[in-house]
Amino acid sequence: MSTLTFHAISDADIAAARKRHPKAFGDPFVATLKAASWAFVIVYLIWSLGFFEIGKLLAASDRAWALITRMVVWQDMATWQYANIYKGIAQTIAMAFVGTLLGTIFALGLAFLAARNTMPVGLFRHAVRRLLDVFRGIDQIVWGLVFVRAVGLGPLAGVLAIWISDMGNLAKLYSEAIENIDRKQVEGVRATGADTGRIIRYGYLPQILPVFISLSLYSFESSTRSATILGLVGAGGIGMIIIERFRAGLFDQVAFVVLNVLIVIAIIDWGSGLIRKRFIGERGH
Amino acid sequence: MLEFKGLTKQFNSTVAVKPATFTIPDGQMVGIIGRSGAGKSTLLRMINRLNEPSGGQMLFQGRDITALKGRELRQWRNECAMVFQQFNLVGRLNVLTNVMSGRLFHHGFASSMMGIFTAKERAFAIRALDRLGMAHVALQQTDTLSGGQMQRVAIARALVQEPRIMLADEPIASLDPLNAKVVMDALRAINREDGLTVICNLHTLDTARQYCDRIIGMQDGVIVFDGTPKDLTDRAAREIYGAEAEEAFSEAMTSTALRPQPVAQPEARVVN
Amino acid sequence: MASVTTNGQDRDPVSLFETHRRQMIRDRMVVNITLGVAFLGFLLWSLWISRFTPDRLATGLPRIFEYFGSVMPTLQWDVLFDGRNEAGRFPPGSIGYWYNDFWKYMRLIWETILMALTATILGTGLAVALSFIAARNCAPFPWAGVLARRFLEFCRGVPEILFALVLVFAVGIGPLAGVLAITIHATGALGKLFSEVNENASMRPVDGIKAVGGSWFEQMRYGVLPQVLPNFTSYALWRFEINVRASAVVGFVGAGGIGAELSHTISFYSDDRVTAVLLLVVLTVTAIDLLSERARHSLIGKESLK
Repeated sequence: MSTLTFHAISDADIAAARKRHPKAFGDPFVATLKAASWAFVIVYLIWSLGFFEIGKLLAASDRAWALITRMVVWQDMATWQYANIYKGIAQTIAMAFVGTLLGTIFALGLAFLAARNTMPVGLFRHAVRRLLDVFRGIDQIVWGLVFVRAVGLGPLAGVLAIWISDMGNLAKLYSEAIENIDRKQVEGVRATGADTGRIIRYGYLPQILPVFISLSLYSFESSTRSATILGLVGAGGIGMIIIERFRAGLFDQVAFVVLNVLIVIAIIDWGSGLIRKRFIGERGH
Repeated sequence: MLEFKGLTKQFNSTVAVKPATFTIPDGQMVGIIGRSGAGKSTLLRMINRLNEPSGGQMLFQGRDITALKGRELRQWRNECAMVFQQFNLVGRLNVLTNVMSGRLFHHGFASSMMGIFTAKERAFAIRALDRLGMAHVALQQTDTLSGGQMQRVAIARALVQEPRIMLADEPIASLDPLNAKVVMDALRAINREDGLTVICNLHTLDTARQYCDRIIGMQDGVIVFDGTPKDLTDRAAREIYGAEAEEAFSEAMTSTALRPQPVAQPEARVVN
Repeated sequence: MASVTTNGQDRDPVSLFETHRRQMIRDRMVVNITLGVAFLGFLLWSLWISRFTPDRLATGLPRIFEYFGSVMPTLQWDVLFDGRNEAGRFPPGSIGYWYNDFWKYMRLIWETILMALTATILGTGLAVALSFIAARNCAPFPWAGVLARRFLEFCRGVPEILFALVLVFAVGIGPLAGVLAITIHATGALGKLFSEVNENASMRPVDGIKAVGGSWFEQMRYGVLPQVLPNFTSYALWRFEINVRASAVVGFVGAGGIGAELSHTISFYSDDRVTAVLLLVVLTVTAIDLLSERARHSLIGKESLK
């Protein structure tokens, strides 16, 4: 052991250390690779922002400023038709509830058809899974537009859109929950000589029910969020009010409505958290 | 010279360290002993201001440490290195980078954010690791090392700071007896060869007696003993440890059982 | 063992158990019935508010099937893979006829993916920066932490498409509004996740860097970042999947990508062009999901080996 100061380190010392531990002085290949990947990301960002015409952002500052001012300064609050706004919010919640409930009911059946351990016929199982992929792969708002075309403007299209996308999501999650259950408990029930119905009732259900309830509650929460924008394409709910007033240039009212929606969503999250705790305890995620 | 003038620390309503006044001359190896919760750790962590003192003053070479802020405070932290009980290394970085992080204070913003270290720093870090006998693991990921190895890496990191004071907060409490000896020997060597002041919190009494020039005993935030190891009789020690006495003595036995060659007992130093 | 019968009561264990059982069932029944009634009430209210009545459904359902029937492509096996004929047109019933606008769609899908990629990179960068300020254990000043958390909450509370709507008004129609909208929302969502990861990081390395005289930036860079980087990467990849979906729909309000074409096609045509675009979108989204999932798994796999 010997004392050595940083200043006393000479080129000869460096050379000696480099000779003994060449890798400690950085692998030139790794260093180049690192620098190149950073350079790639930065070059990509600059190129893509150019491609997306970032210059428009700077040019738009006046317009953006005016918009923000209009959103923050609230005028003529007496004429805002609050009843309409709150009816829209209520409709959004109702759409989300009915849609999620229908989605849950149908997902229950589909999940057993898509799970490996309850659906032995591979071809059929894969067909069900691809169908679910289509339900999930198309965004809820796209379904909203499709159903508006099919059944006309209004909340019915919204409910159908939530139904179909929740069905796809929940059936996939449910089927994963079914595949992950503890086989031993099912075997225990089977060993008592139970028939298929009873095996499902006593072997599967107690294990998967808490997970299912929890998933459906989460689904309800996320549907309330997404249902707020279904109205942008005419599928009912608060989104219709937002887009109407936005098109009319009533930005202060839009800000007010969005603020209300955020509060309502926070309340729903909180309430559904309470229900989750009440029924399945903390572990039910 | 490190002077404490009524330094105190209060957490809400409990007083962790009651006003402490004492002086540590340069180049001394000081052991602070006491039962857990006696305020040893708080006292030590106040020296490099990881814990903010609630009152009093601390002077190093006449400079007021308690008033430092911003870059000056960081400079002071760079001057007094600290070794921790749980090593406090960055487990997911390699050993060399951990050691080189001891020189971060001397880095500019850009080079430290990009993790660029010079060849000189690398060579210096390797020398420090070599001194602790750890150069062969320089490129290993740190969390793959054993506790004793990690503590030696931590000491190497402290060394590349080129500190004037070395603080060690229970450096051997998480180690087995053999590694404890290696680490204590290293601290002792640093104290002897580099002339660094070493202030060390120790749980085991015998280690303190073995390695330190001076022992400070704390009880409930009060310094109840301050003297040479010779002055520390068994009775005085029992008073310091109180109810934990048996534990401290028995732990002392296990951790000192493995001590083949006794480290040369330091020749009498000036202890004020 | 002292049996129940020696309690001075003439009830045997079985009847005692039965009494308790009945009491318990009664208690639970009350709760269950209350909840059931509340549930049914809420359901009826919801059905009424959303006007989801049987007669509407009955008139709606046939129209749905009718619509889906009209948008299905008519493919004929004998001409399925035929090329253009002399007049430069694909014969009806061929894939070429169905996907007449294939290259236009591909260009838009390419734009959609680029939008998602740019937004993910920008959003991740912002979220990393903000997450250190927002994490309770890392915040340099408590007020900065509160401010950052509120800001992130706002960013992820408002849906992308609403941001897109507003930004289209501000910066004009085109992908820029979409990129910015998705960036803002992704920053909020990732910032929250990242700051939670930061809050779970060990503070010991941070103390270590603090003790060598490192600044706040160095404490974060060397103390926290190495611990959380694998989680950050995995979350960012997962966010990329979501952003691809989002950038496919922000076009509904004019914010670029395939969304505008999708919305236009669905709104104005009810023929096989609808399924042509939809199928491409589904395939793209599924392919990106699969790729990103594989990348995430290999990342996590590497981690668990260590």
